[in-house]
Amino acid sequence: MALGTTVDRTSSTSTQLHGAGENVSDLFARWQQLGDMTAREALLERFMPLARSLARRYDRSSEPFEDLFQVASLGLLKAIDRFDPQRGHSFPSFAVPTILGEVRRYFRDCGWSVHVPRGDQERALRVRDAQETLAGERGSAPTVNQLAQYLELDTEQVLDALQAIQAYGSLSLDAPRPGTDDEGVSYGETMGGEDERYELVELDATLVAALEHVPARERAMLHMRFVKDMTQTEIAAQVGLSQMQVSRLLRRSLDQLRALTCGNIDDG
Amino acid sequence: MVELPNVRLNLANTAENVVVVRAVLSGLAESAGVDASDLADIKTAVSEACNNVVVHAYRGERGPLDVAIELGEGSMRVTVRDRGAGISDRALQDDPGRVALQDDPPGAIGLGLHVIRTLARRVEFDHPPGGGTRVSMELAAHGLHALHPGLAGGPDLDLTGMMPRFAAAVSVAPARLAQAVLPRLACALAARAHFSTDRLSDVQLLTDALAAHAVKAVCAHHVSLGVSVQPRDLELRIAPLRLGQAEGLVRASDLDGLGRVIETLADRHHILAGESHETLALCMLDRRAP
Repeated sequence: MALGTTVDRTSSTSTQLHGAGENVSDLFARWQQLGDMTAREALLERFMPLARSLARRYDRSSEPFEDLFQVASLGLLKAIDRFDPQRGHSFPSFAVPTILGEVRRYFRDCGWSVHVPRGDQERALRVRDAQETLAGERGSAPTVNQLAQYLELDTEQVLDALQAIQAYGSLSLDAPRPGTDDEGVSYGETMGGEDERYELVELDATLVAALEHVPARERAMLHMRFVKDMTQTEIAAQVGLSQMQVSRLLRRSLDQLRALTCGNIDDG
Repeated sequence: MVELPNVRLNLANTAENVVVVRAVLSGLAESAGVDASDLADIKTAVSEACNNVVVHAYRGERGPLDVAIELGEGSMRVTVRDRGAGISDRALQDDPGRVALQDDPPGAIGLGLHVIRTLARRVEFDHPPGGGTRVSMELAAHGLHALHPGLAGGPDLDLTGMMPRFAAAVSVAPARLAQAVLPRLACALAARAHFSTDRLSDVQLLTDALAAHAVKAVCAHHVSLGVSVQPRDLELRIAPLRLGQAEGLVRASDLDGLGRVIETLADRHHILAGESHETLALCMLDRRAP
């Protein structure tokens, strides 16, 4: 690789476990009695995988993994500084509760319940619902920042959720939508039926063939977006779907059309 | 001729640009089906390296944050580089981790290099010619397949004079990898431009179309994209396109009787013609955003 050649010419330090061969209690002695920073470093590096695995326990929570890992690492640092080898416990048995305590305190300070992990998928559903609530209140689609504020998430989490909404089959269009009662107008029913026909006179043969594969409702949406230049929110209102659903269907049908008409793109 | 990295990102060292890097990593990993916990590690390690550049490389000033990504078999190599004064060779050789730890207040970024070393299979630090510090990490990415980027060469997007107006420049090789990268990158920047979710989704549709059709329109192994971000205003520039192909790219995704995809989604477009290649510039506004 290009990088390897550069590395040889310049100063380079490969990663290595310092003090890897050294006994943990010797390292603690060097750090706690002599204040030797390299021993503290070595301990930190030695037990970092422990902090990581503890952070992993909460990985499906509302908080990003690296924030948790960062907090767990701080907990580890505290444990290294406070550990008293004279008491006869092993370091991990002391460190685990210290690290977990730090992580739990972090959750408490953030106002999250530790026991209610929120997975990506649940977050995606919350973003979808919030999007509809805010759009309903304001009459136009919210921004990512507004969603993030409303849900107390960061913008990246909202962006990821928007991606997830595109991807998850389980966020099915048949899922109940907020604002509809139990009878839930299913969404095939909200579409016009046979009357939703558009003139497709000038299409070339490939595209006609390709469009045959696109269901009528998606074809109608493509028409509204690209012929009538309606916004996704306007389309959503007209067909009785959420803007997110419109977004997903438009993307899917465009993908589908591309696949059908430019099948050789991926060969490039 | 030098082999290209698969993705090159040129950004300013701001915290919000770390989100852009993360969006690109997610796009690459998700399109390749990389294991989710590997992706979390990758994003964590790379964010730490980037945050170091944001906070330390220029001692509070702004400067470039450059990221290169190479896709390997089951692993990803990510190189993060700054062009600042950097820490001394001597300090790096002694112990890269300690430098950060001693300089920083406890609990700040100081754990960063330890985090990186825990998560990466291999880490290298060096000072490349041209100045600054470079951190190169090899990270596990189960499910990823090596992708040959092709050789460097051919014209690039001319960003001279475009920075700092352009928030991000990204080059992707081979060009078809753009489909994994561009939509995520553009959406992250559209969010920064305060686009509503409605218009954000249009950005996604537009970049999907651009990425899919750019493969045939470029005149190099790579495709480059520059993005400028103003409130409610996003400009995308894509290059290097073969002469005459910029217009072709705009037309390529048309649904004939059903509409012009790129023209409808973008508020305006223009073509910057050079001697050997063309650049397509597309502007998207969000007039309805609150």
